[in-house]
Amino acid sequence: MPREVGPSLNERQFFQQALKEKIRIDGRNFEDFRQVQLEFGDEYGVSDVRLGKTRVLTKISAEVTTPYPDRPFDGLFTITTALSPMTLPSFSVSGPPSETEILLSRLLEKTIRRSGALDTESLCLLAGKSCFSVRADVHILSADGNLVDAACFGVVSALRHFRRNDISVSGEEVTVYTLREREGVPLSLLHYPLCVTFSFYTPAPGEEEMVLVDATQLEEHTRDGSCTIGMNKHGEVCQIAKLGGAPTDAVMLLQCANVALQHVLKLSKIMDEKLAEDTKKRDKGGMRAELSAENARITE
Amino acid sequence: MPLDTSSYTLALLRLDGRRWNELRRITAQISTTPSADGSSYLEMGNTKVLCTVSGPIEGQGTRERDRADIRVEIGVAGFSGVDRKRVGRGDKRIAELQSTLQNTFASSLLTTLFPHSLININLHVLSQDGSLLAALLNASTLALIDAGIPMLNYITACTAGSTSSYSSNDEAADPLLDLNSAEEQELPFLTVATLGGGDEVAVLVCETRVQLGRVEGMLAVGVDGCKQIREILDGVVRESGKKVLQSRV
Repeated sequence: MPREVGPSLNERQFFQQALKEKIRIDGRNFEDFRQVQLEFGDEYGVSDVRLGKTRVLTKISAEVTTPYPDRPFDGLFTITTALSPMTLPSFSVSGPPSETEILLSRLLEKTIRRSGALDTESLCLLAGKSCFSVRADVHILSADGNLVDAACFGVVSALRHFRRNDISVSGEEVTVYTLREREGVPLSLLHYPLCVTFSFYTPAPGEEEMVLVDATQLEEHTRDGSCTIGMNKHGEVCQIAKLGGAPTDAVMLLQCANVALQHVLKLSKIMDEKLAEDTKKRDKGGMRAELSAENARITE
Repeated sequence: MPLDTSSYTLALLRLDGRRWNELRRITAQISTTPSADGSSYLEMGNTKVLCTVSGPIEGQGTRERDRADIRVEIGVAGFSGVDRKRVGRGDKRIAELQSTLQNTFASSLLTTLFPHSLININLHVLSQDGSLLAALLNASTLALIDAGIPMLNYITACTAGSTSSYSSNDEAADPLLDLNSAEEQELPFLTVATLGGGDEVAVLVCETRVQLGRVEGMLAVGVDGCKQIREILDGVVRESGKKVLQSRV
């Protein structure tokens, strides 16, 4: 397993010099995200997120299983991340997970699982006996920095897109219908948390600290510290992770949280638009109204 | 067991009798393990952590060429929590804590003075009652000072939370300082570590959902708590130094 090669001295110095002149190598503003592209697969629950050259594919699947004995009313929800040597030679499939993989997996877990984005109680079928186990598989196809934000965006949009099998319970028996028998049911999501990662640079002691949003691979290698803030569009902070790195002024971190909220609102809008587009595409000939189980509300 | 917060609104006292801005009893000793280069034992309330540091020692195949490598290993005792639980080494939560400590001290220790070397920090958690990451950071700081490794300043940490749990959403929620495990399970909280008791935040970890407006209050209270802890830890180091000088005379 070869070690990850950092940027060359030339690249590093070029980047730092440009930063001093308030220029970012790809011409963005310091607080700008790269172009976000979101596409859904033909199957429900597959999302393909592109953030510049970073590309993340997420697939959601659900199956019926037994709940944990100490949590009989909750379903199961797991997020697994797969970083393969296809992205970077330094990631290896065998052997212990690398630090990058562990941190990515922990951040996704804290932002999405711990904050209760997916209502696990809604996955329960028969208390203590059977429940749905939802599994999110995140595949990093191309890594050019900021895997966390892209992966989080991918998982949340895939969860919103996914339709699980419809079920009916009679007494102790659970019947699971296939997607052809009955229309799939969307998952019950309480809120949509998204992540924004900030990278800090202290060019020289005494000089003002600089903050960049959505760092590329080169910007990540040369940063002095970073902070990932997970928020939803209602202004709730789901998690903050500044795990060491160079010390940053507390006021600066609070400002970052406000900037993060702006970005989360923008990203949420993009997600809503893409989901609406996808629904329209699947709604061939207005069948959605026919297939929906909701009664038309007749008011006299 | 839902936290009985009625006592708070009536008398402004928490379950253990503290007010909102009071730290728990913090006691610490350094040079507890004579065989190690540096060692410390720290208690924050009922959270008890033992730390030993060995270094700088020869590093074999260390990652960095021009500075010392820092390796952190955390072992959590099975009897440390309420229920006996054997925590394996591959646990991701522990790996994250180790990574956090490594990155924190990589920035505050003057590692460029020791190229090609390794500094090992070994931590053992003997009892957990909230503020685990904070206790680990504080104990490591003391042990590193005992080992004589040059650093920019103390890294001190503590937790800060907010009185009402998320759902009540009221603006009059008070920030709380130094939460124990019962409070951590019910209330939103964050762990903050500062360099030298100033305003520079080295570590900020928040794993619970909280309104953005409350984060500022919690952060301010946390940073102030770190300042108080720095004074306490500095006192411990100076006491220990005095004893060493007296025994020489």
